Amino acid sequence: MKASWSLAPIALAIAFPIGAADSDEAVFKEKIQPILAANCAACHTGAAAQAGLSVTSLPDLLKGGKRGPAVQPGASKNSLLVQFAKGEQNPRMPVGGKPLPESTINALAAAIDSMQPAKSAAAPSDAYMKWLFAIPTASKAPDVKNTAWIRNPIDAFVLAKLEEKGLAPAPAADKRALLRRVYFDLIGLPPTVEEAEAFQKDTSPDAYERLVDRLLADKRYGERWGRHWLDLVRFAESDGFAIDGERPTAWRYRDYVIRAFNSDKPYDVFIQEQIAGDEMERRGGNGRGMAEASEGPVALGYLRMGPWEADANFDDQLRLDWLNEMTTTTSQVFLGMTVGCARCHDHKYDPIPQRDFYRMQAFFASTRIEDRPAPFLDAEDRLRMRQTLRKYEEDLDALNAEVREMEEILRKKVADNEKFQEILNDKKNTTFTEAERKAYSDLQERSRRMTAESLRFRPVAYSVNEVAPPAVLEIAPTYVLSGGELAAKGDKVEPGFLRCITGKEEKAAIPFSGRYRSGRRRALAEWIASPSHPLTARVMVNRIWQHHFGNGIVRTSSDFGKNGDRPSHPELLDWLATQFIQNKWSIKSMHRLMLTSSAYRQATSHPEAKKYAEADPENRLLWHMNWIRLESEVLRDSMLALSGRLNPEAGGPGMFFSVKDEIAQGFQMFKWYPSDENQQRRRSIYAFQRRSLMMPMMEVFDGANMSESCSRRSVTTVAPQALTLLNGTLTASESKHYAHRVLEIAGDDIDKQVDTAFRLALSRGATEFEKARARQLYAVSANTRRTPEEALTRLATVLFNLNEFLYLE
Amino acid sequence: MSHDRRQFLYRSLVGVGGIALMDALNGGLQAAPHHPAKAKACIFLTMLGGVSQMDTFDPKPSLEKFDNTVMDWSKEKLTDQVNLFAKPRLVLRSPWKFSKHGQCGMDVSELLPNLATCVDDLSFVKSVVTENGNHPAATFLMNTGLVLPGRPSVGAWVTYGLGSENRNLPGFVVLPDYRALPFSGSQQWGPGFLPASYQGTMMQWKGDPVNDLRPPSELTSEDVNAQMELLRSYNHAYLEKNLTNPDLQGRIDAYELAYRMQTEVPGVLNTDKESAATKEMYGVDEEDTKSFGTRCLMARQLVEKGVRFVQLYTPSQSWDSHTGLIKGHAKNAKEVDKPIAALIKDLKQRGLLDSTLIVWMGEFGRTPDNPAEMRKNAGRDHNTKAMTMFFAGGGIKPGVTVGETDELGWKAVKDIYRMRDVHATILHLMGLNDMRLTYYHAGRNMRLTDTGGTVIKEVVA
Repeated sequence: MKASWSLAPIALAIAFPIGAADSDEAVFKEKIQPILAANCAACHTGAAAQAGLSVTSLPDLLKGGKRGPAVQPGASKNSLLVQFAKGEQNPRMPVGGKPLPESTINALAAAIDSMQPAKSAAAPSDAYMKWLFAIPTASKAPDVKNTAWIRNPIDAFVLAKLEEKGLAPAPAADKRALLRRVYFDLIGLPPTVEEAEAFQKDTSPDAYERLVDRLLADKRYGERWGRHWLDLVRFAESDGFAIDGERPTAWRYRDYVIRAFNSDKPYDVFIQEQIAGDEMERRGGNGRGMAEASEGPVALGYLRMGPWEADANFDDQLRLDWLNEMTTTTSQVFLGMTVGCARCHDHKYDPIPQRDFYRMQAFFASTRIEDRPAPFLDAEDRLRMRQTLRKYEEDLDALNAEVREMEEILRKKVADNEKFQEILNDKKNTTFTEAERKAYSDLQERSRRMTAESLRFRPVAYSVNEVAPPAVLEIAPTYVLSGGELAAKGDKVEPGFLRCITGKEEKAAIPFSGRYRSGRRRALAEWIASPSHPLTARVMVNRIWQHHFGNGIVRTSSDFGKNGDRPSHPELLDWLATQFIQNKWSIKSMHRLMLTSSAYRQATSHPEAKKYAEADPENRLLWHMNWIRLESEVLRDSMLALSGRLNPEAGGPGMFFSVKDEIAQGFQMFKWYPSDENQQRRRSIYAFQRRSLMMPMMEVFDGANMSESCSRRSVTTVAPQALTLLNGTLTASESKHYAHRVLEIAGDDIDKQVDTAFRLALSRGATEFEKARARQLYAVSANTRRTPEEALTRLATVLFNLNEFLYLE
Repeated sequence: MSHDRRQFLYRSLVGVGGIALMDALNGGLQAAPHHPAKAKACIFLTMLGGVSQMDTFDPKPSLEKFDNTVMDWSKEKLTDQVNLFAKPRLVLRSPWKFSKHGQCGMDVSELLPNLATCVDDLSFVKSVVTENGNHPAATFLMNTGLVLPGRPSVGAWVTYGLGSENRNLPGFVVLPDYRALPFSGSQQWGPGFLPASYQGTMMQWKGDPVNDLRPPSELTSEDVNAQMELLRSYNHAYLEKNLTNPDLQGRIDAYELAYRMQTEVPGVLNTDKESAATKEMYGVDEEDTKSFGTRCLMARQLVEKGVRFVQLYTPSQSWDSHTGLIKGHAKNAKEVDKPIAALIKDLKQRGLLDSTLIVWMGEFGRTPDNPAEMRKNAGRDHNTKAMTMFFAGGGIKPGVTVGETDELGWKAVKDIYRMRDVHATILHLMGLNDMRLTYYHAGRNMRLTDTGGTVIKEVVA
């Protein structure tokens, strides 16, 4: 396939043409127009028509106004015209006049129902769409001139395009740049001085390949790559909204993800466990790392990770919001499709009719939220969990006894036992002293806090479960909802896969239904995780590519649709996708392939940069390696690593970072208790993820917004980042420890101190220029009677703020 | 530069040149409005919890007549507040007297004596309806146009559309009340899918206005300068070797801005330097008004210095008088009445009112009635069917009142406007067309007003 669209800019939106059948025109003239002319035309005509809706012709009605098309031929129930006339939509029409008689509304509805239903949303038409919905096939790696550059087929695909444009790839990155690149890329931490030196000295031809293997086997790999996945699945440990209640064991999902990456869990299994982990257990024994019995419920936490309005007034609406959220997120994360647009209307750009949104939603109709019992695995440090919980329970018993004891003493002071609480709350009442009130409320608060903490150690999964016949009479039916409104029920639909992929609308086969499981989610999971799905493998390899190279082959990595980006290298993407499936969906095999290519090992600079930038300003063809800036977590973790204070403790309940008092006290619904200092120095992925309180460092450095799927971090450069990194508390404390560490290594010699400081931070010694400038800082320091350690502290702060530290060459 | 063009550049250059460009866009370069407009800045006064319209600006004499009688809600099938009507409810008359003020003859209750003297500068809309009766969702709707979190707020959109006029200050500043931050905190002024540089920068009225503004206290200015000088020299040397990365320059610029902010911000935001008369006017030294008054004064100082959008919040749920209306509303009115009147008059006397749009609203209105069981200490519940809000300043037609509610103030019945219409109006008054202010995200061109709002023409001069 020749990719004539490979460099096309983002396709601009073009509305689908709207046509009307001749017979419908007749229906309009005879049956609809007279009613509209008499009741609606006064406001809805001409250029000044209210809400942009004119009712003078059928095309006008089909085009509709601000709220969308007024009429959906063949479907009066879904037609806004009828909904407004009936008062199902506000304000009831005609505004200010009497409601239309029921007979008139019925006549309108009958006329609309007699019209030809509109053709379903456009079938895939252009070449891109045809490619997108076809199963990827591996084309042969293209022939290239500079065969010496080819390390694996990736390079052939990349080089062929470069040569086509008369471009040559950049020279290979030097060893130091490559070392740092792959360390930050795979484990999110800088190499130690010893590791850097060992790599420099290792001149064997496969030194780099062995380094890649070593890093892939490092436990810290999962902590780095698990974070990418958590971004996608909007992971958080609280509900969001007003109450923002804690999800005490949501951390188990985080650890499940880290383990999945570390153990190279096959991606198809990873998908199935998250969508239908509970339904997959019994199959077992396929020898491909299927979940242990209790891992399934934990993996299902994926379905519950979205925000949840715990105090919502409307249960039905809350459930609908949840179903919508799952449907939307699932198609974005796994399929790279934005089906969310089809919640209210047929997708304007992609061939996804509104029905398909609800057919997909129906796969979740048998699902309900549930915190399920799930024993801790060995990998979760079962023993520690059990012991900790037992300790909490004992302590709580003792503490609650204390509370009761004090309450009894206080109650004796009150004559009317019924009024105890009232008198206690009434600060003006003098029955109790201020000290008594405080002691009692402190004790109660201690008990509340301990209870909340103990919940984090319970063997429970934040999960979902099935409601399926015969456990219930029937699974709640799914309806197409006009405008996404609960009250505007249209046709009933059955679970079905997207027709743009299957080619037709048909009910999905649900082969695994059973007594207490509907089998719906499993059917969806197996469809998504099928090797013959055109999107799943492509979307995932593109995500992996995006993190390695800075840009995806499709840059809109969660939107492969018409409005998304076009792939720069479609044949390469297809080749990678087929490799992925052939390698049993092994994510690590994809890392190995990409990281060992010549394309990845290029330098960021290019001798012909000026000229090439005109030919390919966005570097879509990869004529050099993209510059990559450290993300917020990597930055913070690396600062702690450099000061020698990173606490490597892996897994388990998250740590609570310190925040300013006025922020910590600003919450009404919960209290924020910072963990002890040692806990606070754990890696950022282990920071407790409260939706209403992002870690300040993450907030200012473009951390993932926890309310919806984040496929790609923004990279912004704003002044508050500079303020945080210059003046913030983390910089202050870690600079001091960094200086102390350097002094221990380097002793009193200033040049040696500077050199050591540079080696730790940048994996290279300081230049003469850098040493000279640093000595000036020492001189200023000496003038103000500062110790050398204080000067070194300033130098450490400077290193944390360097562009060379923040950007990967 | 047009927004399409800017967005194209941003999207195409992210990771390579986009960052420096974005920095330029947010800090230095000013984007162009879609049409000429008087308002260059906006001050959004957010009354969290929901103000009772029938006790402030929308008098309902019939409440007197029906006071203490049962309201019949049986016909209200479509209410989103079913739980509120599950029990017998009694109509509650307004405890406050209304009188007419100004040349326009606007009705204002005795709750707001200072604002009453400003009515000829205000234009009221009594018929705003909202979509959700829960505080967080309704607050999201008011700020972002959607009841769910994750979308850009009005301030972010406006800053995205118009850029900033002062390179030394952020374009969008949020001044919350630390006694209770709005639900969901910074998500209420987040950038959503817009680049993060458009998010509101929270400033405090006590202590340093910006986080980490000051170097650690043990450092002298010599230490700080030496540190900055060393950073500069290293970063410049690195830049010269790596010209293919334009972000490096952007980040050097950000450090210079931060460096300037360290000196500029304390100078700009300094309520101490104001005259005694001004301080008295805003009530910065009075217990009740010092929080909102100080922040109103800060808002004026920020707008004077070219900040595009300033949003003030009352404490979360402060106006939420389900019970204790008399005490609650009196307290809240007292906290904001004098400061807001001062802000309007002060901007006017400085010739800034014409170029500054003021928006006053909460997340919804309140009901005419209350459950019978609460009669002793009665209040009013959430009401999505009617809310009163006002505009003042740049580009508005002062002294007008738009819309009406029914006999009891329960429902808007005439010239009904939705939140997105309010948003379209704010954008319009600031020179932006809500249909043209778009950002491509999740498969389509997103707007603050989604499929478009209707400008409230009656309030536009």
